[in-house]
Amino acid sequence: MDRKRTLSRRAFLRLALLSGIAAGAGIIYQRTESVGLGNYLRWMARGGAARFFAPKARVALAACATYDADVLGALRGAWQSANMPALRGARVVLKPNLVDFVSGAPCFTHPRVTQAMIHVARELGARTIVVAEGTTFRRDVRAILDATGYSEMLARERVEFVDLNYDDLVTMPLAGGYTGLKTLFVARTIADADVLISIAKLKTHHWTQISASIKNLFGIVPGVKYGWPKNTLHIRGIPAFLAELADSLPTRAGAVVDGIVGMQGDGPLFGSAVASGALVVGADLVAVDATCARLMGFDPAQIDYLNFAAWAGIGAMDASRIELVGESLTRLARVYARPPQVE
Amino acid sequence: MFFDPNFPLTTSAGRGTLKPMSNPETFLLQSQNADGGWGYRVGGTSFVEPTAAVLLALRGRNDAAESRARAWLLSLQRTDGGWGIAVADDESGWMTAWAVRALADFAPARDAVARGAQWLTAQAGLRVDDPAALAQARELFQIDAAIVGWGWQPGDASWVHPTALAILALAAAGQSDHARVREGVRYLYDRAVSSGGWNIGNPRMLDKPIPATIQDTAVALLALRAASVTSDAWQVAKGIEYLCDAVARAQTCAELAWGILALRAWSADVGDALARLDALQRADGSWEGNPFVTAIAAQSQT
Repeated sequence: MDRKRTLSRRAFLRLALLSGIAAGAGIIYQRTESVGLGNYLRWMARGGAARFFAPKARVALAACATYDADVLGALRGAWQSANMPALRGARVVLKPNLVDFVSGAPCFTHPRVTQAMIHVARELGARTIVVAEGTTFRRDVRAILDATGYSEMLARERVEFVDLNYDDLVTMPLAGGYTGLKTLFVARTIADADVLISIAKLKTHHWTQISASIKNLFGIVPGVKYGWPKNTLHIRGIPAFLAELADSLPTRAGAVVDGIVGMQGDGPLFGSAVASGALVVGADLVAVDATCARLMGFDPAQIDYLNFAAWAGIGAMDASRIELVGESLTRLARVYARPPQVE
Repeated sequence: MFFDPNFPLTTSAGRGTLKPMSNPETFLLQSQNADGGWGYRVGGTSFVEPTAAVLLALRGRNDAAESRARAWLLSLQRTDGGWGIAVADDESGWMTAWAVRALADFAPARDAVARGAQWLTAQAGLRVDDPAALAQARELFQIDAAIVGWGWQPGDASWVHPTALAILALAAAGQSDHARVREGVRYLYDRAVSSGGWNIGNPRMLDKPIPATIQDTAVALLALRAASVTSDAWQVAKGIEYLCDAVARAQTCAELAWGILALRAWSADVGDALARLDALQRADGSWEGNPFVTAIAAQSQT
C-alpha cells in the first residue's frame, strides 16, 4: 500500500530553523574564513558600538577658488572649526601626497596648501614641523620635490623634509588584524611624531575609486622594506590594508585635503583637473574621505575601503554621523569623471 | 632626509655637525657607524644597501673600515642564505643582491656568497600561469606576465629594480649564465618602455604609457651589461638614448650619479654630467650628506 509521508507543522518549522542556522553559519564562515570568527565579531561589535554611541565626526569645508587666493585664511578657518588635534608644543609631521610629477596632471598636493598648513602649525605653537613623504614610484624624491615646487617652498619656509622611504625603522603593531599582518615597519619620524597631518589630494584612483587622506597614508611605510610601488601591501587587499593604516597610526592624526584643484578620471597619475575650489579638514579620516567622495559625486558606501572602515568602527561614513561645518557641500560638489575600472 | 644646503648637516638619530672634509672617501669613512655599517644618512640605522654600496665604492682603500663592514654584512646573513634590509628585519629580501655583490670579491666570504646566490636563484616574482590573468596583464599593462624577474620581497610581483640588482649580483658571483639570469634579461626586455628606458616595471597602465625614470633605466642597463648582452637589442639602444637625453637634463645627485655609472658602463657619452655632479658635491666630500648617494657618485667617477 502506498503511504504518503507528510511533514508535520512542527517538523517543518524545525527543518526551517535548522536550514536557517546552517545558512547563517555558512555565510559567517564564508565571510570570516580568512580573518577568523573572533576578529570578525570584534570588528562588527566595535562598528556597531560606534554607530550607536560615538559622537558625530566633525568635518569642515572651506571654499578657496585658486592657489593664488587666501589659502591660509581658508585653511585657518576650517582648522579652527573642525575639532582638530592640539598642536601646541607638538612635534608635527605634515604628509603631503607627492606620488609623482606628471606634466599637466594635478596628481600631487599643491605646495601652497602644505605651506599654509606650515603657517597654521606655527601659529598654533607647534614645537617642530617637518614635511615628510615616502614616494611610491621613484626612489629619488628630490626630482619630484624640484618639479612640484616643494624644494623652493621648503627652503623658503626653512622646513626640513624627511624621505620616509629611507628613514630609520620602527615596528608598528597593527591594531586591527585586517590583513593578517601583526606588525608593519613605519618610518621613525612618524612613530616619534605627536601629530600626523595627512595633506592629501582630492582625486580619483583606479584601484580605490577615490584617493584622499587615508590612501595618502601609503607614503608612511618605507620603500626600503616594501619596495616601489609597495605592491606587497596591495596584494594583501587594499581596503583591508588602508583600514590597518588608519586604525594603527602611532600618533594622533588629522587630515587636510587639497581640493582647490582636484583630479578626475585616470588617477592616481594621469587624470585631468577639476576646479573644485574646496579644502576639507577633519580629525576623523574616514569622515573626511567620505565627505571627499561626496564632493566628487561618489556614494561612499560604494567605495570598498570606506565601507569596510566604517563597518569596523574606524570612523564615520554615513552622512547622518558627520557634522559638516563651514561651506555648503552642495555648493562645492562636482561630478568627477570616474577612473577606469581595474579588477 | 633632505637637507637644505643652508642648513647644518643633521641626522634624525642625533643632531650633529661634521667637520669640513674634501673627498668622498673621507666622508664615507667618517660616516661609518659603530656597528660597521652605513645608513642612508650620517648617524642613521645601518642598512645592507648603503653598506654594500660603500664597500663597492671603497674597494681596497681602507682595510679596517672594509673589514668591519664585511663583518657586519656577514653577521646579518640569515639561515636561509638571504639578507633582510637591516638588523630589525627578520625576512630575506631584495637587499640580498647588494650583499652578494659587495662580498663577491672577498675570498673568505665565498660560502656566504654562494648561499646568497642560491637564495636569489631560488626566488622569483609571482608567476602567472592562468591564461585569463595573462591576457588581462597583456591588456592592462602590455606585459608578458609569464616572464618572471625578482620582487622586493618573497611573494611580491616582479619589478625592474630588484630584477636588475639580482642579475648584477649573480653576475658578480660568477653565475651570469644561470637560467634565472637569462629569464631576468627577458623580463627586462619585456618591461622596457617603447620610447626608451625603464620605470618600475609597467611600461603602460591601461591605455597610457608610463614614462621611464633615470634610476630604473640606469640599473637595468648596468644589469644588462653585466649579463653580457649586446647593444643590438632595441631595448638597450633606446635605453642608452633615453638615458643620455635624461642625464643631460638631470638635476639631482642620485640621478646624475646613476646615469653616469650606467652610461660609462656602455661607453656612452656623459656630456657635462660629471662636471654637474662635481658641482653638487658638498664641502664635506659628500653628495646630499648621504653615504649611499655618495657611494654611487664616487663609483660613477672612477
